[in-house]
Amino acid sequence: MLMPKKVKFRKQQKGKRRGKAWRGSTLSFGEYGLKVLECGYITDRQIEASRIAMTRFIKRGGKVWLRLFPDKPITKKPAEVRMGSGKGALDHWVAVVRPGKILFEMEGVAPEIAQEAMRLAANKLPLKTKFVQRPAIVKAAVAEAAE
Amino acid sequence: MRCPRNERAMPEVVAAKPREGKFNKNAARRVRVAGKIPAVVYGAGQDSVAIEVDPKQILRILHSESGHNTIFDLNVTGHPAAKAMIVDWQYEPVKDTLLHIDLKRIALDKAITVSVPVRLIGTAIGVKNEGGILDQVLREVEIECLPGDIPSHIDADVTSLGLHGVIRVSDLPHSGSIKFLSAEDATVAHVVSIRAEAEPVAAVAAPAEPEVAKKGKTDAPAAEAKK
Repeated sequence: MLMPKKVKFRKQQKGKRRGKAWRGSTLSFGEYGLKVLECGYITDRQIEASRIAMTRFIKRGGKVWLRLFPDKPITKKPAEVRMGSGKGALDHWVAVVRPGKILFEMEGVAPEIAQEAMRLAANKLPLKTKFVQRPAIVKAAVAEAAE
Repeated sequence: MRCPRNERAMPEVVAAKPREGKFNKNAARRVRVAGKIPAVVYGAGQDSVAIEVDPKQILRILHSESGHNTIFDLNVTGHPAAKAMIVDWQYEPVKDTLLHIDLKRIALDKAITVSVPVRLIGTAIGVKNEGGILDQVLREVEIECLPGDIPSHIDADVTSLGLHGVIRVSDLPHSGSIKFLSAEDATVAHVVSIRAEAEPVAAVAAPAEPEVAKKGKTDAPAAEAKK
């Protein structure tokens, strides 16, 4: 699973997820992407499950970029333990995402394959997402359809 | 091969109204509620003017063949008409609507710096026969030329590109009227091999917790300096 190699502090406070993703909201590497429309946490397991779903579908056909990293530690107290006695032990890692953030990018496959791969990846995530692609590709697809 | 700008297209005329009063978020939001978007026009040695424009007209320009490099007539009420182009634009991250644009007045006899998209033509041999993937690294190159010579895009032929083959800025078609400002050795596109997905290793347990950085300054470099 993805996690940082080194951290400054082992545990973090909850924080807030207000606002929109003004950074990381445009396609930077590939032709297609998956944009998240809600705010929330995406765990390391969910990221890994999405990545596997995508790469298995496209087989050896394309390249995938992950645009998020789970760098926030989430702690949990053991079951049936009374409140108090300090913060719980580290349980897992999450990536904090805000609406508009591009989660994954893809290149080197046909648009319909990319869309299906992103749909499979989105099914592994707890948040609403949408498929995005570069405007030039949209225009070319529209022109081809018109012909 | 480089395609010249589409000169046959009708020149776009953008009508704009100067904004008055305050120039804060509240005022900008009121402009957007009224169906316009806030913008600013500057350049050509004149004062900048805060204006409001129709987003549909701007989107039409941005989605045209020449894209953001389109030169159009800008008519601001109470100001002389000028040739202008879009130099910056901001989209809302979720709805993808335009929020604000920057317009620059253009002098047709002075060279300007613009970013022009690179279009890859053909299917690379490395993709067709050797099972690689064509990865476009540079999607726009920066050039300097006269406003009339701005190409809508620069074509790069990739058909002869084998596995691990690279096309650099120096390989793009150069001409006398255009000066490339991007580094000549910058990679435009390359054919990369696909890495096979590693089998999951169950025996090796991942460390549960990462290393925690130690507090304070490490005195190792200082000790070495003393020696």
